[in-house]
Amino acid sequence: MVNFGFSISRPRAIDIDRNNLRKSNEIIGEMPELQACIGCGSCTASCTAGNLTEFNFRKVHTLVRRGEYQGAYEEMNKCMLCGKCRLVCPRGINTRGIVMLIKRKLGDF
Amino acid sequence: MKHVIVIGGGVAGMQCASELLKEGVKVTLLEKEQNTGGKLRNWYKLFPTYTPAEEVLSALRHKLTGAKNLTIKTGSEATAITPKKVTLSSGEELDCDAAVIATGFTLFDARIKEEYGYGIYDNVITSADLEQMFTRGEVRLKNGGKPKRIAILHCVGSRDEKVCQRHCSKVCCVTGVKQAIELKHLFPEATVFNFYMDIRMFGPGYEEMYREAQTQYNVHFVRGRISEVSPTFDDKLQIKAEDTLTGRPLKMGVDMLVLLVGMKANDLNSDLVEKSFLKQQPSGFMQPRNSFLGNVESNVGGIFYAGAVTAPKNVGESLNEGTAAARAAIEWLARK
Amino acid sequence: MTFFAQFCIPFIIGAAILFIVIAFKYISWLKNLPRRDLKLVAVNIFSFKSIKAIWEVICESLLHRRIFRVNRMLGYMHMSLAFGWFLLIAVGWIETVAYLGFKWVPLQGHVFFKYFAVLNGISEHKPLFDFVMDLLLLFVLSGVGLAWFKRMRSRALGMKRTTKHVAFDRMALSALWFIFPLRLLAESCTTAIYGGGSFLTGGIGTLLAKTLSAHTLDMMYEPLWWMYSFALGTFFLAMPFSRYMHIFTEIPLIFLRNYRLRPEAKEKSYDNFEVEACSRCGICIDPCQLQSQLGINEVQSVYFLRDRRYNMLQQKIANNCLMCGRCEQICPVGINLNTLRLNSRTSMRNIPNEGRYSYLKGVDRSSGAGKVGYFAGCMTLLTPNTLSAMQKIFTAAREDVWWADKDGGVCCGRPLKLSGESDSAQKMIDYNTDLFRKHNISTLVTSCPICLKVFREEYKLDGIEVLHHSEYILRLMKNGKLKVKYTVGSTYTYHDPCELGRGCGIYDEPRAVIEAVGELLEPKHNRKDAFCCGSSVANTAINDSQQLTIATKVGEELDQTGAQKIVTSCPLCKKAIKRGAKAQVVDLSEIIAENIK
Repeated sequence: MVNFGFSISRPRAIDIDRNNLRKSNEIIGEMPELQACIGCGSCTASCTAGNLTEFNFRKVHTLVRRGEYQGAYEEMNKCMLCGKCRLVCPRGINTRGIVMLIKRKLGDF
Repeated sequence: MKHVIVIGGGVAGMQCASELLKEGVKVTLLEKEQNTGGKLRNWYKLFPTYTPAEEVLSALRHKLTGAKNLTIKTGSEATAITPKKVTLSSGEELDCDAAVIATGFTLFDARIKEEYGYGIYDNVITSADLEQMFTRGEVRLKNGGKPKRIAILHCVGSRDEKVCQRHCSKVCCVTGVKQAIELKHLFPEATVFNFYMDIRMFGPGYEEMYREAQTQYNVHFVRGRISEVSPTFDDKLQIKAEDTLTGRPLKMGVDMLVLLVGMKANDLNSDLVEKSFLKQQPSGFMQPRNSFLGNVESNVGGIFYAGAVTAPKNVGESLNEGTAAARAAIEWLARK
Repeated sequence: MTFFAQFCIPFIIGAAILFIVIAFKYISWLKNLPRRDLKLVAVNIFSFKSIKAIWEVICESLLHRRIFRVNRMLGYMHMSLAFGWFLLIAVGWIETVAYLGFKWVPLQGHVFFKYFAVLNGISEHKPLFDFVMDLLLLFVLSGVGLAWFKRMRSRALGMKRTTKHVAFDRMALSALWFIFPLRLLAESCTTAIYGGGSFLTGGIGTLLAKTLSAHTLDMMYEPLWWMYSFALGTFFLAMPFSRYMHIFTEIPLIFLRNYRLRPEAKEKSYDNFEVEACSRCGICIDPCQLQSQLGINEVQSVYFLRDRRYNMLQQKIANNCLMCGRCEQICPVGINLNTLRLNSRTSMRNIPNEGRYSYLKGVDRSSGAGKVGYFAGCMTLLTPNTLSAMQKIFTAAREDVWWADKDGGVCCGRPLKLSGESDSAQKMIDYNTDLFRKHNISTLVTSCPICLKVFREEYKLDGIEVLHHSEYILRLMKNGKLKVKYTVGSTYTYHDPCELGRGCGIYDEPRAVIEAVGELLEPKHNRKDAFCCGSSVANTAINDSQQLTIATKVGEELDQTGAQKIVTSCPLCKKAIKRGAKAQVVDLSEIIAENIK
């Protein structure tokens, strides 16, 4: 997560009422298959980047879907796009496409 | 005397045949293997009561022995099925007044999920292999040793787009729990880990069994699907998964990995669509006429279904369907 | 002598604008060439390469040799239009010289010579020229006729689908269709009134003179020349903004290409020549599996280049490509379609980010030691049969092997490059290069064609030989280090992975390896024409069921060979084809490992 140089204790709860779900809806609207995730963790388990650093694709995209965007772009930037996760996903989710989409929606291109 | 051909000599087919015989119908039971009993022949004990599979089978066989209107044809496979005639692979044609398809399912070939290493690494086995080991009383590692740590992986060939098996095979979850307990009985010192995506305990006594496994047998349940298996230098298997409840990758060396293989529709099913004009579901299993009021009937009058040919089912459900299909067939014969 | 009439105005305006726009484009493109490219031009311009280029211009721009290879009728159509028109201009110029001697004649004087000959009272006729010009006009008209026919029935010319055009293209196309029929009519009308012409214009002229009154012919005369000039003017005006820009652009492109200029990972000025040299002939549409197997119609190279040229390229078009290279293989202009698409993706997505992948520092999970390094590749870790087969092969050949990524390595960088993030990919390239150097290997073997391609093209691995495992296995067999047994009656078919075949040109080695253990049965589409399995990492746009559809089609074709086993040499292809084929799918290394003597 991004360190802003100061710390305030953020509330623990994911507050769906307060979170702005616009980006989340846009992402899901463009690739509805993301909603098919059953959270089995195959993607994270096979992840080449996750093998070397604390990158958890499943967690990041789930947070993004809940409207928790902070740090998501930076996290997604750890992905090497190698495509192993796409090969193992039992739900056939186009995970590489999701990574690129989230980066596009939350980043600057 | 009316004649019904029952295709498939598993539990559903045998039950159906015995019910038909009771009603004074002439029955021919076709079984492609050399013995009746179907998949259950290779099973050790049944959940949730640990009833020996052999007990169920011998009871069913007992019902059929000596029946004078029964012909059992083993080693014969049906290639074309109509309500009037069934053609065998030998070319022989049998006339009939109705047919019951009780051909069941095919076990998923775990070799297709190459990343789990079945057929590559010695101590990766399937749930079916384990049952046979139980029956033989020879549960051990390839080198003869006792397993100290065992992983059981759920959903192999079920709920998996990548192998074109979208459906849930229904019985693997509880089988996984049952086998974990049985393993703990054999190896009280061993630790057993079940890796699951969802635990589906749909039947009576199943949830209790799950709880028992957790509390009495100390079976560990990890919510995460294993993604890769690789050998280690000390002849163990290293498995990788995400422990999704902690959100962290998990690695572990195990002595034995049991793959809970799912139920796959028979290849024969697509032939039935072409040659018998029957309907198939997207999963490959056959489509009953109506999911509520006609779930043992096909869309073709005079052809009935019993057991796992229409969807994954447990033994009890298959037996019930055997009875139900027999009743439906008798009503059909009476109306004609 | 006068060489001006009012009807020439549309033509003159069109031609003037055409020359101004083209001159402007070429000068700015050439001016913006990177220094390295300019140097290449300077070095090569006065060399044999220029002569080669001239020959290529004749063969391709005029005769359209490469289209002939696709389909003869289609080739003839393009040739008759290009070469025919060129000859009309050339012979027309000679004709004016023959009549008037060497003397400056304005452009319209050449183009509308038949009109001005009458106007200037030249009454003599040169039947030879009349005949040749008529013959050439007929040649061109036959091409126009075929073009019309192609619009209606493209299949007859070997094309299942033709390009959907933009407004400028339609304008130019309509004008082009009318130019030659109008020329025919204008010249025939002239001969009808003033005589001359040969079998074609003369013949029609005689017919016109017989059927129409002199008054009607007089009434038609000027308007017909006006219409001809207008059609020409419209075509020239639309030309630099339409697909017909390729007519001129292909010529400098051929020269520059002969000077060894190539598109690169990042967009540069040279790309303009390639992009605008696309004639939108649409030959790239039919081989595209996204079209033929999934019915996706707007992403093919022709549309990609069009969108890029008019600055309306969207990510969803740029990203929806398997980069299998089947279109590049057949493109009659020889455009580097994959490289252009890649550098477009790079322009859209590449963000230099220094902090990215800082976690790679100090990672080394390799094991073993030896002069031979084996990089399985990320995907190969999901096909452990390949790993254990390679292990067996290494052991049998007594090779000491350093395993770079048995426990999970760092990606080769190719997938990132393919998605346009080339600066980030460089981090992986640097990391892996250092790793290979650190372990002092002299040979690097990989089982993944995707890795192979980036190792060969982007990594600076001087002193380290990079081999695909098919090449490596073949070498071991040739050196006698690996002995395999041939089984009579065992049959295999082989699927060429895109990155290995079209990507790296490796077709023969895997086949030689297979033929050492059994009989090889070729599928219908093989080698350069091989299908893509559909799971290409280059495509992030199609979904799982679309991938499966492609895999099923490919699997069916491989099954049709009747082979007992389907062999491939890419983990991704293996995984994909497994989903679509009935026969067992194995990696090349597996069939060797199980047949080691």
